[in-house]
Amino acid sequence: MPIITENITREKKTETDFQSPEVWTKVTGKAVYGNDFKLPGMLYGKILRSPHPHARIKKINLGSVEAMPGVYASLTGAELPERPYGIVFDDELPLAAELVRYIGDEVAAVAAVDNETASKAVEAINVDYEMLPAVFSPREALKPDAPQLHEKFKDNLAWERNLLRGDSDKAFREADVIVENTFTIPSVHSTYLEPTVCVAADDPYNGLIIHTAVQSPDAVRVIIAKALELPLSKVRIVGPVMGGGFGGRVYGNLKLYMIASLLAIKTGRPVKMQLTREEEFLVGRPMIAAEMHLKMGFKNDGTILAREADIVTDNGAYSAQAPWVSKTLSERNDSVYHIPNIKTRVRLAYTNKVPTGQYRAYGNQAANFATESLLDMGAVKLGIDPLKLRLKNCVKTGDTTVHGLKIKSCALAECLKAAAEEIGWYDRKKGYGYGISAAIHASGSLVFDKNFRGAAALARLELDGRISIFSGEQDYGQGAHATFTLIASRVLGISPEMITVYSRDTLSSPHSIGALGNRQTTIGGKAVQMAAKRLRELIVLTAADMLEDPVVMEKGTLRSASDRIVELPLVAYHYHSLTCGLSLIGEGRYVPEPSEYDETGYGNIAVTYSFAAHGAVVEVDKTTGAITVHKIVAAHDSGKIINQISAIGQVFGGTTQGLGMSCYEGYLFNKGEVANASLADYRIPTSLDVPDITPIFIENEDPEGPYGAKGLGEIVQIPVLGAVANAVADAAGVRVTDLPITAEKVYQALSGWECE
Amino acid sequence: MKKEIIKFILNGEQVEVYVDPAKSLLHLLRNDFGLTGSKEGCGQGECGACTVLLDDLAVNSCLIPAGKVSGCSVVTIEALSRDGKPDFVQESFVEKGAVQCGFCSPGMIMSAHALLKQNPRPDAMEVRTAISGNLCRCTGYKQIEEAILLSAEKLNK
Amino acid sequence: MSYLKAESIGQALTLLKESAPESRLIAGGTDLFLQEFPERLIDIGSIEELKWIEEKEGFLEVGAGVTHTIAGGSDLISDKATALAEACLQVGSPQVRNIGTLGGNVMNAAPAADAAVALVALGAVAVLMDKDKNIRRVNVDQLYAGYNCSAVDCSSELLLKFMIESCKSGEGSAFVRFAARRALALPMVNAAVRVKIKNGIISEIYLVAAPVKPAPTRLLKTEELLLGKSACEETWLKAEKSAAGEAEVRGSLLRCSADYRKHLVGILVSRAIQVAALRAIGGKEEG
Repeated sequence: MPIITENITREKKTETDFQSPEVWTKVTGKAVYGNDFKLPGMLYGKILRSPHPHARIKKINLGSVEAMPGVYASLTGAELPERPYGIVFDDELPLAAELVRYIGDEVAAVAAVDNETASKAVEAINVDYEMLPAVFSPREALKPDAPQLHEKFKDNLAWERNLLRGDSDKAFREADVIVENTFTIPSVHSTYLEPTVCVAADDPYNGLIIHTAVQSPDAVRVIIAKALELPLSKVRIVGPVMGGGFGGRVYGNLKLYMIASLLAIKTGRPVKMQLTREEEFLVGRPMIAAEMHLKMGFKNDGTILAREADIVTDNGAYSAQAPWVSKTLSERNDSVYHIPNIKTRVRLAYTNKVPTGQYRAYGNQAANFATESLLDMGAVKLGIDPLKLRLKNCVKTGDTTVHGLKIKSCALAECLKAAAEEIGWYDRKKGYGYGISAAIHASGSLVFDKNFRGAAALARLELDGRISIFSGEQDYGQGAHATFTLIASRVLGISPEMITVYSRDTLSSPHSIGALGNRQTTIGGKAVQMAAKRLRELIVLTAADMLEDPVVMEKGTLRSASDRIVELPLVAYHYHSLTCGLSLIGEGRYVPEPSEYDETGYGNIAVTYSFAAHGAVVEVDKTTGAITVHKIVAAHDSGKIINQISAIGQVFGGTTQGLGMSCYEGYLFNKGEVANASLADYRIPTSLDVPDITPIFIENEDPEGPYGAKGLGEIVQIPVLGAVANAVADAAGVRVTDLPITAEKVYQALSGWECE
Repeated sequence: MKKEIIKFILNGEQVEVYVDPAKSLLHLLRNDFGLTGSKEGCGQGECGACTVLLDDLAVNSCLIPAGKVSGCSVVTIEALSRDGKPDFVQESFVEKGAVQCGFCSPGMIMSAHALLKQNPRPDAMEVRTAISGNLCRCTGYKQIEEAILLSAEKLNK
Repeated sequence: MSYLKAESIGQALTLLKESAPESRLIAGGTDLFLQEFPERLIDIGSIEELKWIEEKEGFLEVGAGVTHTIAGGSDLISDKATALAEACLQVGSPQVRNIGTLGGNVMNAAPAADAAVALVALGAVAVLMDKDKNIRRVNVDQLYAGYNCSAVDCSSELLLKFMIESCKSGEGSAFVRFAARRALALPMVNAAVRVKIKNGIISEIYLVAAPVKPAPTRLLKTEELLLGKSACEETWLKAEKSAAGEAEVRGSLLRCSADYRKHLVGILVSRAIQVAALRAIGGKEEG
């Protein structure tokens, strides 16, 4: 298998640099995002939220709210059937019926002529609460005498997993060197720049249409139809342009959609609801916080023998995808290296805090921080160079990992070497700290729905010879449309300018799992490849029928054996006339091999796997603990790169988000109240905080992905955390095990203070 | 609240609007003039998505009371493209792949214009400083920086 | 409510005089939306007379309407009151610096407002005019009544300008800050220093660190300790220790712990003095 190690020459403009024409609407301010969208007669909705972390609603006094000028409707949980819904567990209601479980919980809602009137009306609602004891620490919550959040979940244990591979007790007895430590990460928010917004409209002809930008519109549609007991075919999601998602908007904000829908049904008018930035932080479903106690055993030569983990993750008040994220967090990282013996306990606990969801790398980035930190601690104890330790143990093509992942293509060792070389691992500058870290991530996850693993797409030849692609996958800035265009363009041999991808309407696009699990390129792209292939066959057949002669298709032109030529529009018209109105449509489906995993979760869970290694160079000012990250090198094996310009953009952006998690971001709570619910206080990196980032692609062809490609969008964030943590430890001589690694924490570690 | 007549120059045209002077310029632009290119990411001057030019200076339109723009000139993203053709900064943003979700792009582009008006030959650090009030979550800023440097190159040609 | 844009100082005062006490002056107004709106706003942000920067008889006069961007980019301020220019360039973001004024920075009365901290360290005097055109001069640190609370009643008095004694040969000033990120951040600690060095000895010093008290406050004990000391490493260490000891700080969940803030006060004060001293000595060499 050819391996090309190449630093990206940024000036090069190749056929792999393509952007969806939608980009022009974005730079000119014409792109219509959710909040730019209006319907005639539209009302505005606002939500009354619980000011208490845990309380019983004794009475909601609406008073004269509905009589206020400009107010059209109010809504409380008492009016609704008590029909819980959820992603993994059905533990939520659109509006609280009896209990509120966190500060921000939805209690009542109002629809009015404008936002100001709606806000005033909401403020006029009086709620009588009976306070209940609250619990904020997940470890405390798991104790038998802790306040209980949900009747169904004893001891606040939302989900638990105990995992054994091999015999870790024996392996630890045989280990020469053992390291262990506790690592913690706070909840982190995707912090897409566009606050979540929707417009819900309902009428007897169209049914319920929710205009909102979401990563998995089909999933949202199914959940909402079920929760509101509406016929599925009468619920439609139409997406405006999305201002960022990063996994935080896989399901958007289901409660917002449901409340807006209920208000729209109640008033017979379209209702727009937008979260404020503060509300985004309260109800925008950040990723779980985690406390990870890890232990690792080595042989003296550096061979990893075993890994033990006791992990507690903080669910907040409701679950969403938290069990899945906890699962990935607790085990995906085990497959970066050969670790024959594994023992893991992970428990997800309900607490009276912001309910959680997911963010970009699904917890794998948190695990990277912990594991890669511990690995460096092992390297120190073993007296082995951290790079050599990684190279000795890392997985390679053909391996089946400890959890049964089948590695069909892997250039991890090459990534490690490339990243190390580029940061000057063996040519260190004095006074700087160097860190390296490695990652694996599922590319095209097969386990969200065992029976629905793949994707479908349609490719339609238009009468003017252009091609329309319909896919249920979503583009929210990461470049999925451009990638699909390039794939179709390669199959059909026509210019990308002739192709348009449509994906944002559940009425016209094939049903899809959506933009999650790193599946856009690998699975969605493959479906597009299949659809384009089928269309190509149909075009050739139709042209042959027209010319009564076999034809070949080259550069969008059909040529017969007798050298007669026919262009695409004529083929389209021919079929159109022949069928009295039909178009040539290539149906494409990609149905990956079923994932066979046993009851312990052993088995292959994705189409293929992406790999990466990042290296970081930092400086630490020991008088204050201040960290300056100078350089991050991001070496990636995402197979063959289909769209270079967006791949580079993913690396820059994802690495910066990884840096944010490493050094800047995290929820701060004060008795269950979010203390930093603003962009001033929840600090994502600014342009002045970003280091020099060097993307490297090791273009190792994958046998499964379309044109040898694998996913990139999520893995870009993962290795940053370990690399930065290790570089800071190298520079400071002390290690911070609690994210984010701030100047204060480094200084505390340096001066031997007790952490607060 | 009492409305007042406010007269100002919007995208080169003299306009007059009867509005509550305490309304933010951002809401005035979006709701009263239908200029939705300026985005609201926080409403508190902490993200820069609503950046417009007020008398040639970059400002957060969410922090400007409508009353303040009386007699001033306001330029928004909508004014940059002429006859449907994007301007050199907008083109550079596309050329360099500086746009992902695009929500920060109008504000970024306005900050770029404000910079280039003051300093037609900025270096990389000056570019970074000029966009330091514009948060971007997608791109890591690198391609935006390159796009603005490319714009400066085009300007000086 | 009504919104009035004053074109001149005279007009602003007339408007103040004829209006009910509910009227309020605003300049940039960047913090306005975070507060309750008063009945009547008098916008003084476009009064040209408040935007002058000039040097007169050994004093730098900086209009209260000068924005952070203008002050930060002014060669005169950079030269004669370096700490102020440095402080102005580090406030929030370019957008906020373009609209926020020095007068507003002081009148908002935030305890660690960068420009205000520099002004106090520079020994700036505020010149105010009331509705009846009476003028009074007050040291900037006397304009504070409490946390985020100004001693100036902006329904009856207008802040005209700041007067700063120009830094002469043998004098230097500096401003430093420490924040969680490099833009769009309030400081954990900031510090500003103005120092005069004669024959290698500190002969005058103004030293401010914030947030320590509700108003940007001079660290008088440390100043006293440093007077008469030679400009050398040993003195900087003393300054660090003394300033950290003198500062009574509070911790906050959002910024940092009190212990760390105390430590930072020491470090930043020491750094600011070193830079200011270098400038003082450099100035002497040049002269």
